[in-house]
Amino acid sequence: MSGMGQACYVYPGAPATPALVTADISFSRGIYMNGSMLMDDGKSVTIWGFTDLAAAPGTMAGGNNGMGGSFPSPAIRVTEGQIVHTSLTVGNMWMHTIHHHGIEPSTENDGVGHFSYDIYNGTYTYQWKASSAGTYFYHCHVNTPLHAEMGMYGGLIIDPKPLSTDPVGTKRAFSNGPIYDVEAIWACDEIDPALHTLAWNAGTCGGDVGLNNFHPKYFIITGVDGASSALTNPGVAVNMKLGQTALVRYICAGFFPQKITFGGLTASVVASDGRPLPAAWSTTSIEASSAERYDCIIKPTTTGTYTVTVQFLHWITGAVLGTAKTRINVT
Amino acid sequence: MDRRSFLKASGAGLATTLMGTGMLSWTPRSEAATISKTYYINDGTRAMPDGVSVYFKSYGDSATALSLPATPIICQEGDTLSITVINRLLKTHNFVIGGLKAGDPPLASTGNIASGATGTINLAIPSGAAGSYMFYDNVTGYNRFLGLHGGLAIMPSGSSTTLYSGSPTFKKQLFWIFNDIDPALNNAVQLNGTIPTTFTPRYFTINGLSSRPPGASGFGDPTIDAMADPRSKLSGSIGDRTLLRILNTGMCSHSVHTHANHMEWLTNNGVVRSSVWKKDSLYLRNNLGKIDSIYPFSPPPDAYPAVTTGHFPMHLHDEMSQTAGGGLYQFGSMTEIEFI
Repeated sequence: MSGMGQACYVYPGAPATPALVTADISFSRGIYMNGSMLMDDGKSVTIWGFTDLAAAPGTMAGGNNGMGGSFPSPAIRVTEGQIVHTSLTVGNMWMHTIHHHGIEPSTENDGVGHFSYDIYNGTYTYQWKASSAGTYFYHCHVNTPLHAEMGMYGGLIIDPKPLSTDPVGTKRAFSNGPIYDVEAIWACDEIDPALHTLAWNAGTCGGDVGLNNFHPKYFIITGVDGASSALTNPGVAVNMKLGQTALVRYICAGFFPQKITFGGLTASVVASDGRPLPAAWSTTSIEASSAERYDCIIKPTTTGTYTVTVQFLHWITGAVLGTAKTRINVT
Repeated sequence: MDRRSFLKASGAGLATTLMGTGMLSWTPRSEAATISKTYYINDGTRAMPDGVSVYFKSYGDSATALSLPATPIICQEGDTLSITVINRLLKTHNFVIGGLKAGDPPLASTGNIASGATGTINLAIPSGAAGSYMFYDNVTGYNRFLGLHGGLAIMPSGSSTTLYSGSPTFKKQLFWIFNDIDPALNNAVQLNGTIPTTFTPRYFTINGLSSRPPGASGFGDPTIDAMADPRSKLSGSIGDRTLLRILNTGMCSHSVHTHANHMEWLTNNGVVRSSVWKKDSLYLRNNLGKIDSIYPFSPPPDAYPAVTTGHFPMHLHDEMSQTAGGGLYQFGSMTEIEFI
């Protein structure tokens, strides 16, 4: 099927988008297949992901030059009500899609290959409308137990339309939802390095490549090793002033269940999976399964350093396989 | 069959001719009735997606038919359940209807049924028992996920549209029963060997079948392909709200993910939730975990232009479950959601 070996049960294509209209906001994604992540133990793990072709138009989108990129992939952020285009360009060496998880578009724009197309040797523009503010993520839906594991995901945030009665710059979790000052996006994931040596099409034609047997060794938060780096990484740890309100967008981006605990702080969970809850849920911890999202309002009442822990739980035994940590620093 | 042909076929004859045949059909009665069912504890083998033959036991509909899972039972509060279980195997087995909520005592049990013997349950369904139940064998810790399991739906008296008194309403209902299979265990039981101390699932099923993608052998065959199995496939038009009685008979926890619509999450492990959340991914606990949710069949909210038809997957998001034999993505616990 391609220059990198045979793939089976793939559905290559890059057709024109049905009923394409002018978008309110557009994103242009390529892919990289040769990124890496340096872990706290000094070892590197190969990472795949999506690139922002608009920000770096010189990078290749597949072909022979899937250049490295950010991990997680660049976020997609839009406003409720917008018509969105997400273009994905893939060369002739691999196949990928973008599934906007939790976004519910037409079949052609859902990014599931066997119902539409695995993007190959061209560009497809996913067209959808952002109907409900909240936290989502996007990921590749080709050979998903491998491609998602390899890191092919990024955050997807839909902000509510600004209220005319709000001061300019007011940030809300959803329309008429709680106001926040500080935001964190915690995509919590586990990595099994044994899988990070496989080809994109591994196992698609059969044969045991171990995709059923997951043994994660690294436990990360938003692309940062949770062993120690995430405790202080400025893109992960939250720094806020007493009196401020934080919105933590927690994404269970791994495959195994997780338990997040907010270091003794109480979270008011106001939304999940991109939908406001009928009533906020106060809790000090959340157990989540793969791909769930929880929007958590945190308003500390005392200064201090709160260590947030994310435990990764074996899907059979429930044993804690590892823990990722970060902090909420309140001054 | 290529993708284009698949879309054409699934949008026309193939799907529509099968629609409804696997749904749990229910018409409420004003009078209580006796619901009788006979199961035969039997065994047999079934080919997995990679061709490996795996041994199973089941509560069969006949002396020899392997039924994975058992044919479900639906009844209403006030009915009398009359269940006969005939053990055709050499080992002792039983038939237990688990309690509604985690920690509840069993609703009923045959007690042990020796080889060749018959067990019975005669149970007057009490008021307030409405809900989704799993029945299974618990003589050993593993007989359940060897295949000895099934679903029991108890409807509120006189209702065909509610899960419990005052619940959100639905038009259709079905069971999604998930299982995880480690053939090393099944083979050990078949050969009367030593039971393994570890469990590494290699096959993943919904209502006893794994999915097949277009182009695969068995694709579209409702007896092979979970995507086409009318017991599993969600097929409806806008407004065809469908109750999903989700049971986990296996050892693995899962994340149940629907495309095209969020689900309305009504219960967790038999407990009615204090409020209904709309979720695209639901945490299904292992070892007898249960969820009831409603798939609303609303127009996919983010489609532009708006659509009312389409084809989408339901799959487990713990993606290891989407494989067979360590590879073969798209041959796992997945079914189709069809808007017609």
